[in-house]
Amino acid sequence: MVLVPALPLAAALIVGLLGFPLLKTRSHIPVIAAIGTSFVLSLFLLRGVLNDTPQEESGGAVGVEKLVRLWRWAGIEGAYSQGEGEQAVSRPFDIDITLRADPLTAVMLSMVTFISSLVAIYAVGYMHGDPGYPRFFAYVSLFVFSMTMLVSVSNFVLLYVFWEAVGLCSYLLIGFWYEKPEAAAAGKKAFLVNRIGDFGFALGLFLLWTTYGTLNFHDVGPDGALPTASAEAEGEASGGKIAVQGVLGQSRLQDPAHSYVGGGVGLAICLCLLAGACGKSAQFPLHVWLPDAMEGPTPVSALIHAATMVTAGVYMFIRCTPLLHASPTAQAIVASVGAFTALLAGLIALTQNDLKRVMAYSTISQLGYMFLGVGTGMLAGIGAGMFHLFTHAFFKALLFLGSGSVMHAMGGIVDMQRFSGLRKIMPWTHGTFLVGCLALCGVFPFAGYYSKDAILAAAHGRAMHDLVLLEGTRWEFSLYQTLYYSGVFTALLTGLYTFRAFFMTFYGETRVPPEAGHHAHESPPSMVGPLVILAVFAFGIGYIMSGSEASHDQPFGGFLHHTPSLAFSGLPAGPHDEASHAKVAALSSLFALSGIGLAAFLYLGERRQVERLSRLMKAVRLYQLSYGKFFFDQIYNGLIVAPLRLLASVCYWFDQKVIDGLVNLGGWLPQAFGAMLRPLQNGLLQFYALAMMLGLLVLIGALLMWPVS
Amino acid sequence: MTPLQAIAAASILLGVGLWLLLPRGGAPGRGFGALFSAIALGLFAFVVVRIDPQHRVGDSVFLLLAATTIVSALGAVTLRSPVYCAIWFAMTLLGTAGLFLYQGAQFLGVATVVVYAGAILVTFLFVLMLAQPKGMTSYDRVSWEGMLSAATGAVLVGLLSALVFAPPPVAEGEQPLAGLNVDPVAAADREAEILSPDHMAHLGGQLFSRYLIGVEVAGTLLLAALVGAVAIVAQGKQQPRWEEGRQHG
Amino acid sequence: MDEVQLLHRFLMVGALLFSIGLVGFLSRRNMIVMFLAAEMMLQGISVSLVGWGRFHNDWGGQILVIFILAVAACEAGIALALVLMLFHQTGKLDVAVWQSIREANQPKFVDHQLPEETLPVEHWPTLPPAGVEPELPVEEMIHRSHV
Repeated sequence: MVLVPALPLAAALIVGLLGFPLLKTRSHIPVIAAIGTSFVLSLFLLRGVLNDTPQEESGGAVGVEKLVRLWRWAGIEGAYSQGEGEQAVSRPFDIDITLRADPLTAVMLSMVTFISSLVAIYAVGYMHGDPGYPRFFAYVSLFVFSMTMLVSVSNFVLLYVFWEAVGLCSYLLIGFWYEKPEAAAAGKKAFLVNRIGDFGFALGLFLLWTTYGTLNFHDVGPDGALPTASAEAEGEASGGKIAVQGVLGQSRLQDPAHSYVGGGVGLAICLCLLAGACGKSAQFPLHVWLPDAMEGPTPVSALIHAATMVTAGVYMFIRCTPLLHASPTAQAIVASVGAFTALLAGLIALTQNDLKRVMAYSTISQLGYMFLGVGTGMLAGIGAGMFHLFTHAFFKALLFLGSGSVMHAMGGIVDMQRFSGLRKIMPWTHGTFLVGCLALCGVFPFAGYYSKDAILAAAHGRAMHDLVLLEGTRWEFSLYQTLYYSGVFTALLTGLYTFRAFFMTFYGETRVPPEAGHHAHESPPSMVGPLVILAVFAFGIGYIMSGSEASHDQPFGGFLHHTPSLAFSGLPAGPHDEASHAKVAALSSLFALSGIGLAAFLYLGERRQVERLSRLMKAVRLYQLSYGKFFFDQIYNGLIVAPLRLLASVCYWFDQKVIDGLVNLGGWLPQAFGAMLRPLQNGLLQFYALAMMLGLLVLIGALLMWPVS
Repeated sequence: MTPLQAIAAASILLGVGLWLLLPRGGAPGRGFGALFSAIALGLFAFVVVRIDPQHRVGDSVFLLLAATTIVSALGAVTLRSPVYCAIWFAMTLLGTAGLFLYQGAQFLGVATVVVYAGAILVTFLFVLMLAQPKGMTSYDRVSWEGMLSAATGAVLVGLLSALVFAPPPVAEGEQPLAGLNVDPVAAADREAEILSPDHMAHLGGQLFSRYLIGVEVAGTLLLAALVGAVAIVAQGKQQPRWEEGRQHG
Repeated sequence: MDEVQLLHRFLMVGALLFSIGLVGFLSRRNMIVMFLAAEMMLQGISVSLVGWGRFHNDWGGQILVIFILAVAACEAGIALALVLMLFHQTGKLDVAVWQSIREANQPKFVDHQLPEETLPVEHWPTLPPAGVEPELPVEEMIHRSHV
């Protein structure tokens, strides 16, 4: 358990310290070894958690969790106090460095380490010959450490710490080619936009602290010990062996309806957390950094900005499901944000010419799906969101690595208008890319089909659920219904933009940009290998994981169900209506296929229709709207950056004139005083004697005036 | 006229007189300066000396000695030629020696004449002869900040004499100035001691018993000064910077 | 005689000597005269000390004056050696020449220039001429004082 994050950290230290002087082009060896071992270990962990699963029925505990406490980092006694007199509660402010293993963590760990291993192997080929080769691997290893810690810590503060750590790695890797001004600017942009979200996250943490009085996930016993299974049982018997109820602790989860604060405070907490998640997971309105982040090396885009880091927001929300469950409004907002982002990003992706940017917007769009799933507030939806996160990691990493392969062959060119018909040159890339595209679109046997349709089904189910159960709140029904339809429409867009990129890249007449030179060829085996592995997974993982169609009984959802955060009783399970699920699946598949068909119609062959269509769209200004990414950058520029710039210039002026003036005055005063006194030092012996004498006179005069008693 | 007023007036007069007397590049007024100074000295004498008819001779001797000392001191300070200054200073020394004798410090009176007038002053004159440039130099004819220095000296003498003659009031129940109440027995003893033929022997006994360490240290100091003076002059000779100094000055 | 009266007189004389010496030290610019003035200040102190010694019927005052004599002798020796050396460097006894310890960027103190005042050339009496009247060594006579 501990070794999973420790190994990448060790590798990062080794490579970071010794990479340049010693390892040089062998820098990948310790990193790949460490991450690979971590992957194997996390598989063992997954297996261990799986084996534990059946036993939870017998114990009184909710879900399965194993805690490993490393040490107690901070303990400020009496930091939290509440109540008066007898009922006064005073608790220390604890930060336990505690790792937890539950199904959610295990799944995330396996996924992260698996993708990381493949990306690291891929990067051996991709980054070959780069001067910053050891640096790259040190960063990647550091990122893996941070991400594994992020998903396995059991404390909000530590979650925040590693949340920042992955942000830092992201920043370092986006700006990896820091000589490029775009890369540096993109890194800065990502960092700043993330700051906005993190600010919200921090506020959320403060609110959590004042509301619940602890930031630990788990319960803590009276003597600071971790609760064990037996103590748990006894604690229930004797009533009150638990000193501090963790935010997501067992004792609190026993009765979620009463122990979680709803209403305004709950909503505020959820919204603050949402701000953080939006920043990290690139949701509207903080999505602008992700497309620019594509300036980083492609393996990084695949690893951080598609598969792992951006899903941290989704992970956090799944972890915090009980909090979210306490506030239906927050659920609705999360779902709306997700659906809107999905739609928006899909629309923008339609017109982008940069292959990696298309992928970036598609990532944003898919993350929107995940938020939609989480926002349904039902186990099926959350499970589907997690499921989509899981499958998406595979096929999006595949797509990114594929486009990286294309980019590698084309000499760094990512503009799709400049090359086409590459399927003959790069057959392996073509094949795997096709698998990835199909998976992304959610075509039947591929991974995306299961997960995306599960989300849509959950959204639909939520709408129906509201319609049936909550007669009074019609707006929720209509809201989720709208979200559902927008999700379905986004599926159409997904098919369209994905296959537009696919056809533009791999079909049509063979064109190669001059920058590619002579080495427009298939990528080396270290790059193709991970592609093939990922393609296999993208093809099969959905089917393997989904099992039967019944959403609650599917292994993945059922497995996740044992996560403590998701296992409490109040969470509605979700729709069981197989007919409607099938209907939803059929509908979305139909839309996706029609999107693919439309793309084929438009982009295969002569593309005359495209010209006509784009002229038409240009005529009504829709094209520019999409091409300009809905002008979010410009809007932000005008609304936020320009006033800030004005404020900054005012501050600069104030600082320059007033503050510096004051400071300089402070420096100038002694100087002036000294200048006044300087003529005294005229070097004349007699003057000094005179001054001495005058001082003596003053003393004698003082003695005369105020005699010593 | 109260003593304080007299002292103030005398100090002011002395200051003005000194300023006028100091070399000011040939500016007129030295006569007035001498006059003012004389009046100031007279005022001081008026404040200090109360003529006792029984000791008329003694008082006259004191006044004569004091006047010689102070007047020659004024001359030593104010005259332009360094040689005259030295000669007037010799007069001052003689006056002081007389004052020492007047107080019964016979050894000191003689020693002052021998050491100061005989040794130190002669050294001064030697140096003057060695180092006196041609003619009357400008720095001898002009004093530096004469008014300010004279004022300083006047204020100083005013303050000192005010401290002596108008002592600050003491708080209730305190002794005014311990020791000022002289009992006649001690005075008689003192007279006997001063007139005793063993006066010098007693001084010597004191010097070489109670103050022996001080004497040794003083002797060492003299030796060090001797060596130091020789070393300084020798070093100055080794590196003559005459030409450089000429350009400089 | 009244001992207090005697003490007062001597203190007065000492104060006057000290103050006059002080004025001389402060205002005269010839280094040798300055040392004379300093010696005069010491004399003032000595007079006061002897007065106090007599007043208290104690040898301390006289002994201290003896030490003052010793110190004054040392001081005079060292100081005159220094003066001589300084004079050899500049050809002047002016204390205002030595102001190099002044603060940087401070203007040098320059006193207003006085018209040169030369001593009249004096003809020293000579022996009556036994034959031809000897030619007067005018150059040498002018530079007489400059050894």
